[in-house]
Formats: sequence, C-alpha cells, structure tokens
Amino acid sequence: MTPFISIQSVTKIFQKGQSLIKPLEDLSLDVPQGEFLSLMGPSGSGKTTLLNLIAGIDRPNSGKIIIDKREVSGLSRAELTRWRARHVGYIFQLYHLVPILSAYENVELPLLLGKLGKAERQERILAALDLVGLADRADHRPAELSGGQEQRVAIARAIVHDPGLLVADEPTGDLDRESADGILKLLGSLADDHGKTIVMVTHDPRAAAAAHRSLHLEKGRFVESPTGHSVSASPSR
Amino acid sequence: MKLALLALKNLVRHRLRSLLTTLGVSAGMFLYASVQTMQHSLAVATEAGAADTTLVVYRENRFCPATSRLPEHYLSVIEGIPGVRQAIPIQIAVNNCGASLDVITFRGVPPETLRAYNPEINVVEGTYEDFLNQSDGALVGQHFARRRGLSPGDTFEAVGVNVTVAGIIASDSPQDENVAYVHLPFLQQASRVGLGVVTQFNVKVERAELLQPVAEKIDETFAADQQPTHTRPEKAFFAETAKQMIELISFTRWLGLGAVAAVLGLVANAVLLIVRGRVRETAILQTLGYSRWAIGWMVVIEGGLLGLVGGIIGVLGATAFFHFKSFTLGNEGLTLALSPSLPVTLSGLAVAVTLGLVASLYPAWKATSRPLVQSLNA
Ligand SMILES: Nc1ncnc2c1ncn2[C@@H]1O[C@H](COP(=O)(O)OP(=O)(O)OP(=O)(O)O)[C@@H](O)[C@H]1O
Ligand SMILES: [Mg+2]
Repeated sequence: MTPFISIQSVTKIFQKGQSLIKPLEDLSLDVPQGEFLSLMGPSGSGKTTLLNLIAGIDRPNSGKIIIDKREVSGLSRAELTRWRARHVGYIFQLYHLVPILSAYENVELPLLLGKLGKAERQERILAALDLVGLADRADHRPAELSGGQEQRVAIARAIVHDPGLLVADEPTGDLDRESADGILKLLGSLADDHGKTIVMVTHDPRAAAAAHRSLHLEKGRFVESPTGHSVSASPSR
Repeated sequence: MKLALLALKNLVRHRLRSLLTTLGVSAGMFLYASVQTMQHSLAVATEAGAADTTLVVYRENRFCPATSRLPEHYLSVIEGIPGVRQAIPIQIAVNNCGASLDVITFRGVPPETLRAYNPEINVVEGTYEDFLNQSDGALVGQHFARRRGLSPGDTFEAVGVNVTVAGIIASDSPQDENVAYVHLPFLQQASRVGLGVVTQFNVKVERAELLQPVAEKIDETFAADQQPTHTRPEKAFFAETAKQMIELISFTRWLGLGAVAAVLGLVANAVLLIVRGRVRETAILQTLGYSRWAIGWMVVIEGGLLGLVGGIIGVLGATAFFHFKSFTLGNEGLTLALSPSLPVTLSGLAVAVTLGLVASLYPAWKATSRPLVQSLNA
C-alpha cells in the first residue's frame, strides 16, 4: 500500500546572510493514512521546518514530497496555496485565532475559500465546533476563551473543510496538563475515528506517548531516541 | 464578496482606528469638494454668463460700479449706431466693491425695457406687473431670495436702499440669479448718484461680427465727451472684472491638490499600519490557503471602504454646506454664487474611493510580499 505521506531524500537549506543553514538533510519518511505521528527533538533540530514542508507552506531544495499520491514538492507557490486550502489543516502552538473574529467566524475562514453557501457553511462549522466540544461558544471571541478552548477552536478550524492531513506544531506546548490531555485525546480520535493522518511536533513525552508512533529528530536526521522509541519505518500499531 | 465582508469586519471591529482615519479622510474630502464647488461655480458663471452678441459700455478707466458714471442720455445715441439691435441703461449698486462672501447687487433698469431686453427672465413667484406698478418694487434672483429668505411682498434693505419684493425670477444666466432688479430712477435717487446717471449700458448687436466695429464706433462717438467710454464684449468684460476672483479661485486648485495628497497619505499610512499589525494574521490566512491575491484584495478593499465612508461624509458634508449657506462671492460688481452640483458631488465620491484604493496598493503589496515562513515566526 502506498503511504499517505512519502518524504524522499528531502534537503532544506536556509540562507542567513552569508552562511547557509541546512536544518534538514537527505531525510526520508513514510506515514500511512490514519496514523498519528509525533516528532520530537531538541530546539533547532528542524521539526517545524519538516512540518512546514509536509503542510506545503515551504518547499524543499531537493528531494520529493508526495502526499496522498500528489507530488506537492513540484507545485508552484500559488498551486501549493490552493492545495493547502483543500487538503491541510494546520494547528499552531499559540492557536493563532484571528482576535477580532468570533469562534464561529474563525472556523468559517477556510470555508470562505470554497463554494459552499451560507447554510452549508453553518452546518459544517457547527459540526466542527460540536466535535471539539465548543458548540455553545460559537459567539465568543478568542479573548473570552481559555487556552485549551482556543486550541479547540483552532482544531475545529483545521478540520472544518475536511482535510485528510493535519499538522500540529506543539499544540499542547502552551497548555496546562488537563487541557493538553483533552487536546491529545481529540487528536487521537480524529486519527482513529475520522481517518485523519496527523503529524504532531512536541517537546512533551506525554504528548508523544499519545501518538501511534514517535520519531526523534536531531540535526536534521532521525535518530534512535534517548527514551528508546524506535525509528521504525513502519507504524507501531 | 466574502472577502469584502471580511475586510469590512476588520474595519468595524477596529472601530476607533477606522473612525479616526475616516474623520481625516472626510476632512480632506470636504476641502476637496469645496474647492471643486468653487471651480465648478466659476466655470458655470464665466462660460454661461456672457452672451455672444452683447457689449458692455463702461466709463473709461473705471473698474468699479461705484465709480463708473455715464449720462443716461447716451442711450439714444447708442441706439442710433448702425448694427445695434437693443440697448439698456443699468445703474448698479453693490454693498461691497472688493472681494466679499456676501455680495448684494442692485441693478436699476427702466422696468419696461427689462422684459424686452432680457426675455429669458422668468418670474416664478409674484408677477411682472407688480414690478411695473410699484416704484420701489424689485425682481429678486432665486439664489439671492433663498439666501435672504425673501418672498413676494417682503421688504428688505441693503446698501441703504429699501425695496419691496415684487417677484422672484429664474434665469439661465447665473448673474441674474444673484441680483435684485429695481426701477432705474428709484435706484438713482435712493443711492444718491442722481437722476440721469448710470453705471453702464448693455448693448446687443445684430451679429457677432459686429461686436468689434460697434464697440469701436461707440467709444469713438464719446471720446471727446466729458465722460468717455470703454466698450467691450460681455465675455471680455467678465473676464477682466472677474480676473482677481478667477485668480483667487484658480489658486484654490492647489488646496484641492493638497487635500488629495493628504487623503492619499493618510489612508496609505493607516492601511500600512493595519497591515504591519497583522503580519501574523496574514500569515495564518495564507497558511489556511488564502492566496496572495485574496490577501491583497482584502487590504485594497479596506482602503477603498475607508475612502468611501470618508468621502461620503466629507463630500456630502460640503454639498450640504454650500446648499444651506448659499455663499455669494463677489468682486467689482460681478457675483459668483457658490452652489453645489451633482457632478461635483459624484466626482468627489469617485475621487474618494479611488484615493482609498490607490493608497492601499503599496500596503497590499507589502502585505503579500513577505515570505510566509518568515511571517509565521514573526
Ligand atoms: N526562515 C528561516 N530562515 C533561516 N533559518 C531558519 C528559518 N527557519 C528556521 N531556520 C533555522 O533552521 C533550523 C531549524 O529550525 P526549526 O524551526 O525547524 O527548529 P525546531 O526543531 O522547530 O525548533 P523548536 O523546537 O525551537 O521549535 C534552526 O537553526 C533555525 O534557525
Ligand atoms: Mg519549532
């Protein structure tokens, strides 16, 4: 079976003034559909960079990235933007809700790019908010929500257009333990019950443990993790 | 459309910021629309105000109605000159010979001659007969009547002259809208210039080609007299007497230009600040799949909306201002009513929106040109 995400010998180079930074070098990785994968590693190891490549926010300097049978590394910037709008949900550490918009309006943002009518949008938005357990907070502004609730709204925003791929950059990094557990449970069920493929970057071993599989990145390469997690290419479930 | 709504939300929910910008825009657009109103009023007055076959006979080397004095009996001589179709003696009294915002002009004319000489005068209230029968009767221009709140039967005083309104007149000639026509002998006595003295003669010639020869003939005829004349086509007369006014108003063009520049700078600055404060938000939208075009559009629409709302307030404000205040600018007996007009209002609104759109082009480009990955880290 072809993997949902296939990363083949990807190298990413940043230019900073005179010097070149190579956060990722000759990296390969396969992720099957429906897997909840966590990426760990020290700061600066290239986790966010890898996540951005998978999410189509950035493009590699060499190598191939194939997602759901489409070679996204070959797409132009504009094509990538359109592709993201339909296939990717991005969850940030700091939620990044638009502060002037209500929870409902924040979740509506990805749908405004499509052709859905108002009634259909409403149905989807309420379903997404319901799934994250915040149907009763639709009219609240981000400032009126707790961190955990904000992150739930952000997850609703990431799934409302029904993308196959979810990427999350330290989604629990700013949350207390209880809220974090709720978010992790939610992500787990999105993979298990809704078939989403999830790639999550985290510093928290507890979060990593909630995933199906955990990989350890160091200096742009996968390594045997200090905590003994395997670097197997096949899913551990 | 959905993007426009999002842009609108952005403005509405940053109420104070949008309000302040709008206020500035409306102040600029008020100024701009005022200047345009002046320019437009002047264009109307000078283009439509002078008939092509009319000569104005004035006292030589005099430029103000108060100092131009000619004997009324010149009339019969002028009427006898070949090529002259009609002539009317006019005594003009103004309350202020220099530049002023509230000029009142009396034109003393032989009441029977007025209708024959000036058939385009249309009495809209009161009657011409009342004017003929009342020695202190006045036919008052519409604009003047509105300014003073006059209707038939009212009496009013200006320049030391008391008159009774016999009728309100409308005319294609903007000059007629600002004056009060009164009986010539009445004005001559009331203003103490004395019977038999007039300010000028208006002379209609048979054909436009005759303007020059007839004018020369008139001046020649009176050259040796006590009171020599200077005769010009009405257009030239207007252009010369209104010269200072025209120069003054032409100068306001720069004020209008300044207002435009100010609005442009204001909106550009406001939108640039908006965009700067939204770098992260913009990056989030891009991550969600919003294209650079969509982001840019939203910024431009925001600028356009700021321009539109500011324009509506400023331009309509100026329109209302000139409508209710009814300013009349005058210089050397020539009057210019500053009246609002639809073309000026509409073009003002269009200019406001255009300025808003243009001003936000650079901020829009700024907003979309930053690399996404970099903005996300901002
Ligand atoms: N836009 C960029 N331009 C230049 N260098 C960059 C850029 N983005 C990341 N880098 C560099 O690439 C390396 C990897 O960065 P990355 O953000 O992927 O690390 P990370 O593993 O996510 O770290 P953290 O755990 O702190 O988030 C770092 O050295 C970083 O400075
Ligand atoms: Mg990171």
